Amino acid sequence: MTPPDSARFPASIVQARALSQRVPTADGLLAILSDVALDVKAGETLAITGASGSGKSTLLGLLAGLDIASAGEVHLFGERLDTLDEDARARLRAGRVGFVFQSFQLLPALTALENVLMPLELAGRDDARARAAHWLERVGLAARARHTPRQLSGGEQQRVAIARAFATDPEIVFADEPTGNLDADTGARIVDLLFELNASAHTTLVLVTHDATLAARCQRRLHLVAGRVQDTVSA
Amino acid sequence: MNFLRLGLWLLGRERASGEWRVLLLALVIGVGSVATTGFLGDRLQRAMRDEGARFLGADLLVTSPRPVESWPDNPLATAHAVEFASMISRGDAFQLATLRAVDDAWPLRGTVRIAPRAFAPGTPGRALPPPGSVYVDPQLLPLLDAQVGDTVRIGEAAFRIAGVVVEEPGQLGGVFGLAPRVFLRGDELDRTQVLLPGSRITYLYQFAGAPPALDAFTRALKTRLDDTQRTIGSREGVETLRGAFRNMDAYLQLTALISLLLSVAAIAIAARRHALRHYDQAALLRCFGATTAQLRVLYAVQLFTLGLLGSLGGAALGALVQQALGGLILPDTLARLPALGWKPVAVAVASGLLALAGAALPALMRLIRVPPLRVLRRDLPPLPLSAWLGAAISGAALLILVVAYARDLKLVSVFVGALAALALVLALLARLALVAGRGMRTVSRGPLRFGLAQLLRHRFDSTLQLGAFTLALFLLGLLALVRTDLIESWRTQLPPDAPNHFLVNIAPHQQDAVAAWLADHHLQASALYPMVRGRLIEKNGQPIADTLPPEDRGDNSLRRELNLTWTASLPANNAVTAGRWHGDRRVAAPARGTPSGAPLLRSDPSAELSVESGMAERLHLALGDTLGFRIGDQTVAARITSIRNVKWDSMQPNFFVIFAPGMLDGLPASGIASVRVPSGPGSPMSGFVKAFPGITVLALDKLIADIEAVFARILAAIQLLLGFLLAAGLAVVVATLLASLDARRQEAVLLRTLGARRAWLAQGLMSEFVVLGLLSGVLASVCAEIAMALIAHRLFDLSPQLHPWLWLVLPPLGALLVGASGWLTTRHIVRVPPMQSLRALG
Ligand SMILES: Nc1ncnc2c1ncn2[C@@H]1O[C@H](COP(=O)(O)OP(=O)(O)OP(=O)(O)O)[C@@H](O)[C@H]1O
Ligand SMILES: [Mg+2]
Repeated sequence: MTPPDSARFPASIVQARALSQRVPTADGLLAILSDVALDVKAGETLAITGASGSGKSTLLGLLAGLDIASAGEVHLFGERLDTLDEDARARLRAGRVGFVFQSFQLLPALTALENVLMPLELAGRDDARARAAHWLERVGLAARARHTPRQLSGGEQQRVAIARAFATDPEIVFADEPTGNLDADTGARIVDLLFELNASAHTTLVLVTHDATLAARCQRRLHLVAGRVQDTVSA
Repeated sequence: MNFLRLGLWLLGRERASGEWRVLLLALVIGVGSVATTGFLGDRLQRAMRDEGARFLGADLLVTSPRPVESWPDNPLATAHAVEFASMISRGDAFQLATLRAVDDAWPLRGTVRIAPRAFAPGTPGRALPPPGSVYVDPQLLPLLDAQVGDTVRIGEAAFRIAGVVVEEPGQLGGVFGLAPRVFLRGDELDRTQVLLPGSRITYLYQFAGAPPALDAFTRALKTRLDDTQRTIGSREGVETLRGAFRNMDAYLQLTALISLLLSVAAIAIAARRHALRHYDQAALLRCFGATTAQLRVLYAVQLFTLGLLGSLGGAALGALVQQALGGLILPDTLARLPALGWKPVAVAVASGLLALAGAALPALMRLIRVPPLRVLRRDLPPLPLSAWLGAAISGAALLILVVAYARDLKLVSVFVGALAALALVLALLARLALVAGRGMRTVSRGPLRFGLAQLLRHRFDSTLQLGAFTLALFLLGLLALVRTDLIESWRTQLPPDAPNHFLVNIAPHQQDAVAAWLADHHLQASALYPMVRGRLIEKNGQPIADTLPPEDRGDNSLRRELNLTWTASLPANNAVTAGRWHGDRRVAAPARGTPSGAPLLRSDPSAELSVESGMAERLHLALGDTLGFRIGDQTVAARITSIRNVKWDSMQPNFFVIFAPGMLDGLPASGIASVRVPSGPGSPMSGFVKAFPGITVLALDKLIADIEAVFARILAAIQLLLGFLLAAGLAVVVATLLASLDARRQEAVLLRTLGARRAWLAQGLMSEFVVLGLLSGVLASVCAEIAMALIAHRLFDLSPQLHPWLWLVLPPLGALLVGASGWLTTRHIVRVPPMQSLRALG
């Protein structure tokens, strides 16, 4: 798969082959994902689109190693995820993977700054505090560093979450519907921020959305219908 | 990253969030109540030991027929006395007296009261009279026709009577039959020249000091003493107090256990809520790359820190409260007791950590097993922890605590068994009650209907809450019951007209005259028991010591003469536990003496006797055994046909061994009876002493007053402990409500958004709590009755009975408690405007 002279081509960050996810339900096995294949190179931006319930979040979770597929393989940073246990996958993610969620998922007890600080502390970065402050400034919230999530608006919370995702200089950022809980204007500004940071940090971005305009800003789009890849579009 | 530091950092940041507060509060209350009961119980027990010592006159008394030349090394205080019988005379009047020559430290504990005349209150002090004088028993004055201030002769020396002894330690405990007491100075003993080689002398040694030193000393002593020497500890000082000691021990153990369990319940509920509210945090941390081991460190350090803080806080609270309570309850003894050591603090902290671990570990272990995928699918629950593992962890921690606190295995097994049964019964009853609630719902209206619907909708929560409230109320009810029954049992043991004087040494020919005199003076007396003294020597023809394992051969009932009596009717306060009371099955008294003068063996296969159950147990005696006693120069044998329980604290003449009539008839016996003399000035007993100079009168009213004071203190302590348990119960109530607060807030917001009025919502909530409280009150009453029946039967030997007031008090109390705390905990969710609530929900 990977060309022998990989130096000339960007390396794969995340690869999936014949990926299927089936879960047992009351009416037998339910196929959530079927035979999904993809390859995301360093620095690329990929949008995963599809209707609600089409399996987008499930795919994202598999790619990030948060869950294990029932069939097929996922390679993250060249490691085959189904050969690693839960803890090994966690260690693989530490500091190298960033996340942005639809519902922000900030820790309510921590201030904005501390929320950004969290993954840095986890990854054991020594200049954690300075970095966190730096990233908070990048998302324009330096003045709100000491505010807790409760005192921030939805858009502001998502900006903190974006700072948190990029703070560890990850190689890849996974975003699941980052604008899903925001109004159109705020959402657009969040998207601008996400792409701007992504570009300047040369990060790979895998983004789940059912918003066509947002998807259009990604280099590649993968459209899911009922758990199957319907078409892949490269810009 | 150092996850220790991260854990502490997160803990510090969440300090203000209130999540930990509930847990910490429950822990502080729990450990506080345990520490208080522990500290106070410890102090009370020491105070009890103190009382015992006051009655004995020392912490330890050693009696020996020879001087003891050397003692094991010890740091104890000592006092020494020599006791012997001698004649005391004034003019023509002679009287046999028991003389005790004492040093200036006698007695080490308690006091001797010396009065200027008989039956006067007297002033407390030492037993040592001024040089050249003696203190005498008031009985001696009429016998010698003397007054205080007169001179009496003992042997070659003359002494002035400086006062009468109206009270001295060690008045009880087998002194019956002794001649009246005289105290003289040990350094003046030689002057009397009454002690000749071969005189029967008892050397008395008193010891007092700190319990550990005493214990060590007693152990070292055991190996040195022979058959003729006896040790008496402060616990054995007074048989009268023994029952009280036992009940109080059992009671305090029960109290400590109950408060502990309440706090553990509160902690478990709070921990469950904490874990629930941190699933997202744990998932996020895993998502960011934290491994299971790292999360374990992170949450363990938080738990440990909280446990340490809460336990220390609780221990401090307990120390403060017990100091205050101790000052109230035991003002006089407190000053003499050593300050609280570090040991009880360490015990309190250790139990706090253990309780926290038992209550919170299963929840936290689930927290660690949260799948990272939860960040994408919010509803994903943590991987289920094996229910058995969780139960095993909690069960083990609880068991360690219970065993450590109760020590008494019987108590533990009764308690654990009752709890297991309770959990089962509770689950069943709660389900049943909820089903009944469904029926009620169909006929109810408005907010009440809503409240009931709420209860039914969260069936699991309701069962849990119902279970927890019921447990709290049940334990409170049980405690109140045990307390009342304890008081009652003591009251019935010691009725207001309990005898307060013993009449000893009543000659057979005096019996009728004594009865007539008492009737003339309207005094109530017990039955009169004939009494002979004899030593137990044989069982089934073998020397008694040979039939016992070595460790039981030192029993005191083998070292001294026992008071033996015979009667056809079972004395009041005695209950036959095995065999059949011999009643009037008399045997013909054998002829006295033998022509040859050899010791006579009075033996008759049909002769019967009855043995006290404690003695039977200690000496391994069973129904059907034949016991041989040496009485004077004779040996008397009879078969055990019944075993009795005796209420030693009944203030009646009590006997270890009671023969059937006939066997002992004709032996030189003296009578003993107890009589109730109204308190107040002008005791009629001074007249009695004049009328019957040979009869010894033991005044016990002061002793009874002391025992009553001891009980009043115990009861006061128990009432205060009840207050603590109430706080622990409330912690459970609040923790349970907080556990459901999030769900309730969401519902309230939704309902408000849908147009529900505030008042309607409040009434709905209230009716839910009130119904819950009422239900748990009823369930608690059921459980308390069952448990009480078991406890009364097993521990306190009382027959079970129903307690109607329980059913009247517990349900309203439950409604009030749950209603009030429910309202206080949830009222703000009714007040929040819907818009603001929606934002808070995030
Ligand atoms: N473990 C599971 N058990 C049962 N059903 C599951 C499980 N995981 C996912 N599903 C179902 O699979 C489908 C796909 O879920 P997924 O969350 O991936 O969809 P999605 O495309 O992200 O939808 P949305 O746009 O609404 O977020 C849904 O119908 C979901 O309910
Ligand atoms: Mg989704």
